Amino acid sequence: MALDYSKCAREISEVIGGGKNVVSAAHCATRLRLVIADNSKVDRKKLEDVEGVKGVFESNGQLQIIIGTGTVNKVYEEFLSFNGLTAATKDDVKAAAAQRQPVWKQMLKALGDVFVPILPAIVASGLMMGIVEALGKAVPGFAQTDWYAFLDTVSNTAFAFLPVIVAISAARVFGGNIFLGAVIGLLMVHTAFINGWSVGSTETINSFFGVTDGVVPKWHLIGDVVTIRRAGYQGHVIPVIIAVWLMCRIEKWLHKHVPEMIDLFVTPLTTVFTTALLALWIIGPIFAQLESWVLLGAEILVKNPIGAAVMGAVYPWTVVMGLHHMYNVIEAGMLASVGLNTWMPIASAANFAQFGACLAVGIKAHNNKTRVIAVPSSMSAALGITEPAIFGVNMRFFKPFICAMIAGAVGALFGAVSRIGATAYGVTGIPGYLTIDKPLQYTILLLISGGLAFLLVWFIWKEGDAGAKQEAAAGAEGDAAAAPVSEVAADAAEQDALGAMELREVMTSEAGALYAPVRGRVIPAEQIPDETFAGGVLGQGVGIEPEEETVYAPCDGTISSVAETGHAIGISAAGDQELLIHVGVDTVKMGGKGFRTLVAEGDAVKRGQKLLTFDRAAIREAGYPDVVVFLLTNSDDYKGFKVTGV
Amino acid sequence: MREFNFTVSDPDGIHARPAGLLVKAAKAFESTVTVFAGDKNADMKKLLALMALAIKQGQTITVKVEGADEDAAAEAVEKFLKDTF
Repeated sequence: MALDYSKCAREISEVIGGGKNVVSAAHCATRLRLVIADNSKVDRKKLEDVEGVKGVFESNGQLQIIIGTGTVNKVYEEFLSFNGLTAATKDDVKAAAAQRQPVWKQMLKALGDVFVPILPAIVASGLMMGIVEALGKAVPGFAQTDWYAFLDTVSNTAFAFLPVIVAISAARVFGGNIFLGAVIGLLMVHTAFINGWSVGSTETINSFFGVTDGVVPKWHLIGDVVTIRRAGYQGHVIPVIIAVWLMCRIEKWLHKHVPEMIDLFVTPLTTVFTTALLALWIIGPIFAQLESWVLLGAEILVKNPIGAAVMGAVYPWTVVMGLHHMYNVIEAGMLASVGLNTWMPIASAANFAQFGACLAVGIKAHNNKTRVIAVPSSMSAALGITEPAIFGVNMRFFKPFICAMIAGAVGALFGAVSRIGATAYGVTGIPGYLTIDKPLQYTILLLISGGLAFLLVWFIWKEGDAGAKQEAAAGAEGDAAAAPVSEVAADAAEQDALGAMELREVMTSEAGALYAPVRGRVIPAEQIPDETFAGGVLGQGVGIEPEEETVYAPCDGTISSVAETGHAIGISAAGDQELLIHVGVDTVKMGGKGFRTLVAEGDAVKRGQKLLTFDRAAIREAGYPDVVVFLLTNSDDYKGFKVTGV
Repeated sequence: MREFNFTVSDPDGIHARPAGLLVKAAKAFESTVTVFAGDKNADMKKLLALMALAIKQGQTITVKVEGADEDAAAEAVEKFLKDTF
């Protein structure tokens, strides 16, 4: 009789202390992998007796329950739905990896983690929006048709309600309840507030609130101390992410401290109330203030070419903060006063630079996942909608973002010097031709900004760059979590992690090429500070002086052994190769401290999959060399064996 | 066939690097050398298999040696085990 998945999931839940006791749940080909909050609540004996459970063990801080191929994913799904968990996976691993990074990198990473899963939505909307807006300008009368209204509505949905999408994704990344996250996101664009894109328009404010002074009114909760400005946060990203991050902190704290009996209603209620108040009272207004300063600064800056160049560089940052929707006010002001919109060339230069940078990433990247995101994102950027390119690609890898800033500055400088301008506002990039007064100079501007960004990225950015590495892996994980969880998705995620490893061949034989399992300087085995390794007693290989702290699979294979102390991993690979990766010398003495293995014996691994992480500082502190030894232990069996990477 | 027991006294157990030396010692002989630990066993000439046994301090293993040079092999392996672990 087939296994009753839901019964199995339910019984597992019961003997491990319920869903509340589960920090995160993931599964591999055969095992349910749970991170448990309180291990004392787990009844191992009963767990082993649950029908369908073939074995139980603990490894890497995970409770691993062997269920079997083809069934584990079904039990996993039942397990999630029974416990009301979401499919966020490997949070623990990611969090641990993140903790060792500087704050700004963690923040960029969080931004990337939040944005990668929602990219399909904003890429689709961005492209459609670019096309629709261009058609609206190009085809006379089209903007007045029902078709235009319909397409415009569809295409701007994701942007108009971006806070909601961002909030849901952020709640998942930060480990909160995604539905509470959705509530916060919805609140920030609630119809009780005036659309954030309209706060620059006196008329809209007057008609929306029935006032005459063109000022967005406030709710006075406690006199003038606690007030809430009745404006929404359409198009905003940062305040939403901050609010949701805060929400998750509050929620987790409450879950821990509120008695279980009343947790179900006290925690969500308090979480939403507190977050809503803080978001609208403090976080939001800080950004509203920032907005007005940026606007003021921008107006002053663009009056001279140097200022224009600065603006060209800073522009994408204002997109990141969601402030760029305010620029229409400046543009409208320019048209009204001098009849020429000289802002548009600056924005165009900045946006087209994002296009160039993103396209270069798309063409240069080997990782298929990066490519399929970068190319369409760059198309959207060429049409003037840069969010997908910025959030999905350039900002995540960061160097492309810097390149685009430089190119944007140069392009904006050219635009200001050649005194070109637009006769309307609302479009940039290629559609900008519809409104520009000097198409020839505009072409040069686009070539400068887009071309320079492309070239800079092409020569400066490398796929394995530090920032990119983490992000690519995180991206892959994020997507795996978003997709219906299945083995296929898990496999895809594993393959995508490839982008994180630098593909550098260090050994080869008739059995195939072996790639460096860690980033760093490759040294000949003879230079490894240990005579056993140096003498080739354990087989031929290389040493790598690590620059990073993650070991990746050097080829496809099966994990044949994992040292209990986490410092060494054995892999069996094609052609009977027996590989040994040994992190540091004498590190067995550290008793596992500073090491974290991410795979278990018997796991099939793909080249580039993360195997273990190690803490270089801890190894140094313990007084051992941190060189990573990588050997083909049976190298004698291969006639064609060569060390190639030294 | 030769067979002997050995109790590991090395606090780190039979771990990667010395395990490699043990494999080297076993490989010097023609005989098959098999290690039994708990309910698992491994060919002592295969490093990864040996490592997978995860033999710890205090654990008693059984080594079986079989082949033309089994006497010399058993002696060498036993000596190596005593000296190293």
